[in-house]
Amino acid sequence: MKSTLLHKTAPQVAQEIHACIGCNECLLACPALAETISIDVLNRETLSGAISTPVARFARSCYQCGACVAPCPVGLHRDAMIMWIKVRLMRSERGG
Amino acid sequence: MSMPGPHSEYSTTSTQSSRSSERGYPLLFFYLRSSWGYRLLAALLVCALSGAFYIWYSQSGYDTTPDSWAGLGYATFGTIFLILAAVLYSIRRRLRKRAIGQLNASLHWHVLLAIVGLIVLFMHAFGHFAMISGTFALYSMVALTISGFVGRILDHVMPRLIAREVDKVLTMQGDDGVESTSQKLRAVVVHNTQENRGIIVSQSQAPIPMPGSLPFTTNGQSLGASWDLAYISLEPTQQELDQNAPHYRFIPDKKSALNRPGALMPGAEEHLSALQDMQLAMRREQFFRYIIRYWRVLHILLAFITIGLVTWHIIFASTILWPRFFH
Repeated sequence: MKSTLLHKTAPQVAQEIHACIGCNECLLACPALAETISIDVLNRETLSGAISTPVARFARSCYQCGACVAPCPVGLHRDAMIMWIKVRLMRSERGG
Repeated sequence: MSMPGPHSEYSTTSTQSSRSSERGYPLLFFYLRSSWGYRLLAALLVCALSGAFYIWYSQSGYDTTPDSWAGLGYATFGTIFLILAAVLYSIRRRLRKRAIGQLNASLHWHVLLAIVGLIVLFMHAFGHFAMISGTFALYSMVALTISGFVGRILDHVMPRLIAREVDKVLTMQGDDGVESTSQKLRAVVVHNTQENRGIIVSQSQAPIPMPGSLPFTTNGQSLGASWDLAYISLEPTQQELDQNAPHYRFIPDKKSALNRPGALMPGAEEHLSALQDMQLAMRREQFFRYIIRYWRVLHILLAFITIGLVTWHIIFASTILWPRFFH
């Protein structure tokens, strides 16, 4: 049985974002993404800074199915990156 | 492409997050897009037309059995809708050439076509559920549709629950909370152990000295300014010698405050408790991820069972209908 990948820490997510070649394969494979988002914007807003409405909508809609992982040519985990945006959104709700 | 460096600020408490245009992650949310609305409208239109025809046909006194021409028409259209629901999404997922958002649109069509197909196939039955093969096929379709609905709800709820657990495990800076707490716990244990053994702890680990106290320590206690070192024997006491003996066991009195759990290791209890909470959060995260994954497996399994039962029903119905068409 394939083991379930748990979350990644922010430094690990940062490393993955730096390794991203911007090929868009993860976004093309995503069944939760309903509107066009630039991968540059998504990468920029993942770790820090303001979260734009399309990125926030995408992050909330992402259901962590892992469909984005297999098509990535460099083996990155976009689902783990989106999880970090989810956590940031959740913390912002608490006023953090 | 400008991106933050690996040592940049991850903290959500930074001033940057205060500029966030989007905040919060509600448990239930729904984004109604115009394209989704059009698809829903198309599905409702098909259902309404099928329903209107059903009412008209039923009240006209025609043959209302599943093998009547209207019943067979409903069966044909319902099966086509179900095949489209299953095939279109599967093909779209495997296609190399696609645009962003197309898979989401296919998923919506998958949901809508399955619901329309089920409704049309209910009309095909005309209330006759005696035929065993058809009834089983219909029940499996109902189970499949319900599993799809539950799956969509889980897709909304589970990721938020996962995010809540991840939030507990990560520090505010996004570092591993288990590692961070373990380091703090280790520091507490090392500090207390050294203090118990009378080792002078390093400045960073040592407690802040009281005003007027001297830097001399023995058994971890500072000596007051009034103490004359000449009166302190450097020879080890009998108690200290006993401590170094291999059979030595320190058993505090039952009524002693030292008998409380964690009394000998002040500060360690809260870190241990935090570690246990984080381990529990990680187990919950894994559990929620398993639910997401295995609910999909269940849905696909039900889909295969439904295909099998529908095929059985079609073959069974064909053996009855075939002679009728030929005569």
